[in-house]
Amino acid sequence: MSDVLISLFRDNTMWLGIWQTVYLTVLSTALAYAIGLPLGVLLCTTGRGGLAPVPWLNKLLGAIVNIFRSIPFLILMVAFLPVAKAIVGKSYGPAAMVVMLVIAAAPYVARMVESSLKEVDAGVVEAAKSMGANPFQIVWKVYLPEAKPSLLVGAVIGMVTVLGYSAMASTINGGGLGQIAIFYGYNNFKDDVIWMCVFFTVIIVQVIQEGGMFLAARTDKRLRAKAGRAKKCGRK
Amino acid sequence: MIELKNLTKIYPSKTGETVALEDVDLSIPDGSIYGVIGLSGAGKSTLVRCIDLLEKPTRGQVLLDGEDMTAAKKKRLSELRRSIGMIFQNFNLLEQRTAAANVRFPLELNKTPRGEAKQRAEELLSLVGLSEKAEAYPSQLSGGQKQRVAIARALATRPKYLLCDEATSALDPTTTESILQLLKKINRELGVAIVVITHEMKVVERICTHVAVLDRSRIAEAGRVEDVFSFPQSEIAKQLIIPNLIRSLAGSGGSKLRLVFRGGGSGEPVISGLAIECGIPANILFADTRRIDGKTFGHMVIELTGDQKQNAAAREYLAAHDVIFKEEL
Ligand SMILES: Nc1ncnc2c1ncn2[C@@H]1O[C@H](COP(=O)(O)OP(=O)(O)OP(=O)(O)O)[C@@H](O)[C@H]1O
Ligand SMILES: [Mg+2]
Repeated sequence: MSDVLISLFRDNTMWLGIWQTVYLTVLSTALAYAIGLPLGVLLCTTGRGGLAPVPWLNKLLGAIVNIFRSIPFLILMVAFLPVAKAIVGKSYGPAAMVVMLVIAAAPYVARMVESSLKEVDAGVVEAAKSMGANPFQIVWKVYLPEAKPSLLVGAVIGMVTVLGYSAMASTINGGGLGQIAIFYGYNNFKDDVIWMCVFFTVIIVQVIQEGGMFLAARTDKRLRAKAGRAKKCGRK
Repeated sequence: MIELKNLTKIYPSKTGETVALEDVDLSIPDGSIYGVIGLSGAGKSTLVRCIDLLEKPTRGQVLLDGEDMTAAKKKRLSELRRSIGMIFQNFNLLEQRTAAANVRFPLELNKTPRGEAKQRAEELLSLVGLSEKAEAYPSQLSGGQKQRVAIARALATRPKYLLCDEATSALDPTTTESILQLLKKINRELGVAIVVITHEMKVVERICTHVAVLDRSRIAEAGRVEDVFSFPQSEIAKQLIIPNLIRSLAGSGGSKLRLVFRGGGSGEPVISGLAIECGIPANILFADTRRIDGKTFGHMVIELTGDQKQNAAAREYLAAHDVIFKEEL
């Protein structure tokens, strides 16, 4: 182990980096969902054959989402620094980084939400309509609850993607493991620092992935039923 | 009463238009079990979806106790829909909710107080015989059980009408029979009028009081089951109801009579009497009797092989014995 790496552990920089990475990832994902979830619902419901078709709105939202999604993150980050500055007052630091991550992730989240909702059986939606449900009730009581397991899986993928972006965003002094890897590792030619950061990142990804999937499987009543049955059969 | 007036549904498409329903007129009386039968693609599903306005008719009206549903505002339409329950071939239950929560779903939609909704769900599950499955999820239920939950759910808002689109088509014969009996019980005990969409004659025979035969987007004929079954007028109805009759008529030979038995004693005594008393040998070309709603109904096609005078005597004999008959070519 190099002295740099040892001192990173000693003065808690590494632990702080891990904490920052987790915290920024979770916060950015949550904010991305605050925008992306309603956007995804709109994309799904205003589309052709949707609950409340508004073709022009659907096309407009779709186009915006596509534009944002086709810009590489690094370029998006540079281009939107002034926006970050306008929103949080600075074009560097963790707050600016969160803005960047949200801008990059929200359209991605919107598409994932849209596709999760589209998986909901059209027959069930129709049944709800036949019972006199209004569009708002259908979104709230049919689409979202029925798509919950799929939405959770999407959230896991989204969060891991945000984590990946956050490493790049570290270059604007956002903090976290990415910044440690670049400043202490790459700039000082300390490969072990870089690898240690990679190691911790992998651990974080694993925890998010496994935890999220566990949660998704647990909430899915279609799966739970099967698991319950399988267990019973096993006992016999 | 549900009345359909000149109901027409046209689906536009790139390659022209599909006319799914054309000038359909139909009255569904309160308390009836109305079968709608037709071949695949005849427009049965379109018809039932238009009744509930899940599909907006291109032309025509749907009158629910005299009120035009096609003209109703959104909010009023929601209310009207609550007086029409609907069940489907694929059950369409909410997979992430328990059976009881599925039954409570329509009650949540109209903001029924929780306690009341809970009690109503219990009542309904017990009505359909599924009390012990209240907390099961749909994936833990069999097809028949799922349909029972769907029926309970459809009845939650105390509808006057229940629409069933191929409700038993995904079920085996035994389960089908039990679901049909349940529908009959609901009709009898709750006074709910039921529209049963099906492509199976058997379903109509088992429970329906009325039947409409749908053929290529038009109603070929409609009326009480006994009448339509005894004297099917249209080709399509004959094909569906007495498929073998058509074939038996195809052959050459003397004059053919179709005898119709409507709930009386049926069959052989009359024919042997005919032979003995009139001395006319009658060939039986086709015979089919079935029990509908507890009564025996039957068709028999005989060929009279005597000369004109003998044949006239045979007709007299039949008329004298209260046998309804119809000349067939
Ligand atoms: N959404 C739609 N768009 C275009 N055409 C449609 C649509 N739904 C139905 N059709 C057409 O309308 C006609 C009637 O269809 P419908 O589903 O009512 O038949 P059906 O009698 O219920 O048949 P099945 O017994 O197979 O269920 C068919 O020719 C079908 O292709
Ligand atoms: Mg159909």
